[in-house]
Amino acid sequence: MMGPVSFIKEYWRILLLVTFVAGALLALFIPGGIMADDSLVEDNEINDNPTNLEYGLGLDGGTRISAPVVGMTAEDIDAGAVNEEDGSVDRERLTEIENTLYDNDEFELETGDARVSVDDSGTVHAEIFDPDVTEAQFAAALGEAGVDVDPDDIRNGVTEETRNQIIETIDSRINAAGLSGGSVYDSARLGGEYYIVTEVPDMDPDELRELLSERGIVEVVAYHPDENGTQQNETVLTGADIATVDPPQPDEQGPGYVVPVAVDSNAAPGYQDRMNELGFTGEGVQQCSLRGDGETIDFDHEGEQYCLLTVVDGEVVDAHSMGPSLASNMADGSWANDPSFQMGAQTQPQAQSLSVNLQSGAMPATLDFSQDETYSLSPALADQFKLYSLLIGVLSVLTVSGMVFLRYRDIRVASPMIVTAMAEVVILLGFAALIRMPLDLSHVAGFIAVVGTGVDDLIIIADEVMDDGDVNSKRVFESRFRKAFWIIGAAAATTIIAMSPLAVLGLGDLRGFAIITILGVLIGVLITRPAYGDILQRLMTDK
Amino acid sequence: MGYFDVPEINYTRYSNRQLAAVPLAVLAVALLVLTGSFLMTGTPVQLGMDFAGGSELTVQTTSSEEEIANAFDEEPESVQAVTAPETDNQYIVQFTSTDLSSLTEQAEQNLEQDGDADIVQLESTVSESFGAQTQQTALLGIAVAFLGMSVLAFLLFRTFVPSIAIVASAFSDLVIPLAFMSITGISLSLGTVAALLMLIGYSVDSDILLNNHILRRGGSFYESTNRAMETGVTMTVTSMAAMLVMGISAWLFGVELLASIGIILFVGLAADLMNTYMLNLSLLRWYKFEGIRS
Repeated sequence: MMGPVSFIKEYWRILLLVTFVAGALLALFIPGGIMADDSLVEDNEINDNPTNLEYGLGLDGGTRISAPVVGMTAEDIDAGAVNEEDGSVDRERLTEIENTLYDNDEFELETGDARVSVDDSGTVHAEIFDPDVTEAQFAAALGEAGVDVDPDDIRNGVTEETRNQIIETIDSRINAAGLSGGSVYDSARLGGEYYIVTEVPDMDPDELRELLSERGIVEVVAYHPDENGTQQNETVLTGADIATVDPPQPDEQGPGYVVPVAVDSNAAPGYQDRMNELGFTGEGVQQCSLRGDGETIDFDHEGEQYCLLTVVDGEVVDAHSMGPSLASNMADGSWANDPSFQMGAQTQPQAQSLSVNLQSGAMPATLDFSQDETYSLSPALADQFKLYSLLIGVLSVLTVSGMVFLRYRDIRVASPMIVTAMAEVVILLGFAALIRMPLDLSHVAGFIAVVGTGVDDLIIIADEVMDDGDVNSKRVFESRFRKAFWIIGAAAATTIIAMSPLAVLGLGDLRGFAIITILGVLIGVLITRPAYGDILQRLMTDK
Repeated sequence: MGYFDVPEINYTRYSNRQLAAVPLAVLAVALLVLTGSFLMTGTPVQLGMDFAGGSELTVQTTSSEEEIANAFDEEPESVQAVTAPETDNQYIVQFTSTDLSSLTEQAEQNLEQDGDADIVQLESTVSESFGAQTQQTALLGIAVAFLGMSVLAFLLFRTFVPSIAIVASAFSDLVIPLAFMSITGISLSLGTVAALLMLIGYSVDSDILLNNHILRRGGSFYESTNRAMETGVTMTVTSMAAMLVMGISAWLFGVELLASIGIILFVGLAADLMNTYMLNLSLLRWYKFEGIRS
């Protein structure tokens, strides 16, 4: 009889393996998983998946689009806007540079295509999001604003802040479209360029591309006559000035739809004053006769017009007049205390997209779909792939087992070998379930590679231990086992080195393969292969 | 029942030069193939969609292969039927065009629907510039992996000849499957790159085993060699069998990633058997019997 301490000392390698396998099985099969993440589990997502494994796009279906952002950046420009002593930022100077970029002799820009910003470390960056502007033009325009930049220092791509904002916007658009399980992230490519990667389970590529390509810049433009009676356009509100947005509803006062919004309390007084100055609340009340055809607005008209235009991405989608009650509230200054009004749209879909654009904010820049990568898989084919992966995996394991039996002819050597190799896969699967790693085809390849390398190492151990006849003492066994371990360690190190570039570089599908292979090798060397040695020792020395 | 035994080879019958000649000749032919292909097509190996750009559709349709080929304005690069259990009428169609939405539209208009299944089951496209970047990244990955492996080989054995033997046979293990791809028209994809990287890791195993037995263990050169071979050949042949089964079944099922990994690893491991037990062994024997004294 042995005490518990010596029992553990004697069998720790096997105990460790058993513990890990048990842990993996728990992680795989306990409903909800060990690290329950309630945010992800929704009631309608109770599916027929008997395990806690998560599947990625390649095994579950869905669409993925990766594309870079259109734009270029002059980094760390000397704008003279940041006080070097106390780090305070001169916002007006930044706006001045931005305005110069919009209004320069070199090129014309649409609203939202220029941006001058300060990052957390107090460095100023200028960005242009128009593909037709060249580096030289950009540098010249900055020169007009008194900022000296060498065209060669202007790089392709946008700042991290802009990327994050794009990601946030896309994310909130996906949510607004009622799609769960989507994800957006950026991925670095060789040469420092970043791709924005969007994955959505239930959308075809055309729909997703549409969702991604819309810029979503919303403006309210006052269309009004000046002193000479000529009609003028003036942007009086932008999407950023809107604080809250309600769902679209039919317009009570006529055809079309409206989106009720509340203006941000900082922007409201300015908007109110401007409306009063331009005459919208006086002679302009209900003075708008522009009509649309369901798409755009017809600007052929006689007489003076006071219209509030809803403009999305530079296109006028609707024209509204100022109603009498709103006008009187604005005229006496009380509107700013409860700054809500309705933005117009001609059709329900227009109103819906207006509402989404207002809620998720504008995309600071567009994506360049001429450099994209798109992948889309139907759920039906994804199910087939799942089945095939399982079949291919089972076939590979059977082949390996068959070879091992043919080679050793000794069930005492061969069967623990196969059991150990399988244990390795179970532990890996458990780990994948635990960290909720979405599995793809590349991971399946990784699992099969793990079985392959795992068995290789077990063969080394078995051959080494059984070298030169029987193992009759524990000491002989230990020394042989250590020798075998040197080779296994060396082999594991080369595999890890060979795979690590794949795990680090953004090579799409292959990352999962590399990560699983590396993890598998580590689990093998640290846990399963020592345990196999122990099992073999028990069996061979007949203790 | 046919058991699997590793044959003992009587190496004393062959000189080092004879042993090394075979793998070196194969390597030379492989390099020649790659150079020839490079001169003719501009790339040593045909680049797949992942690297050259292009589109791919998997369609479910009752139309025939010929009808599929004619259904598109642009003639498809290839049409391959998927032959998996419980799957009929499924085809993988590849194009050089990257206009995915017009390709899907043409597929949906011109192909016969199979029951109520969607016609287009999988659509994917890679733009040329995205592919070009992937290509550079992949090259960098392979270079870094190979370099890392070489450094590690030198660190492990700390002597020139055995280490360079490992590096040389690993190099040949990469070049031979590449030439195989070039001849059989398998194009370079992310899957095959993964397989090549895997080969760097896998193929070195048997070399390390051989070097270790010969250099760090007692016993005569030939005893050590036979012992290393017994283990090493078992390992490699087992892996080869697994990869062949995976490659063929995945190819039949139309799961390209797994198919290319399986087939390339199979070829590479076969090359590794030759390189380890002929090239590496001859270098080690020369080192052990002649090199050490000089």
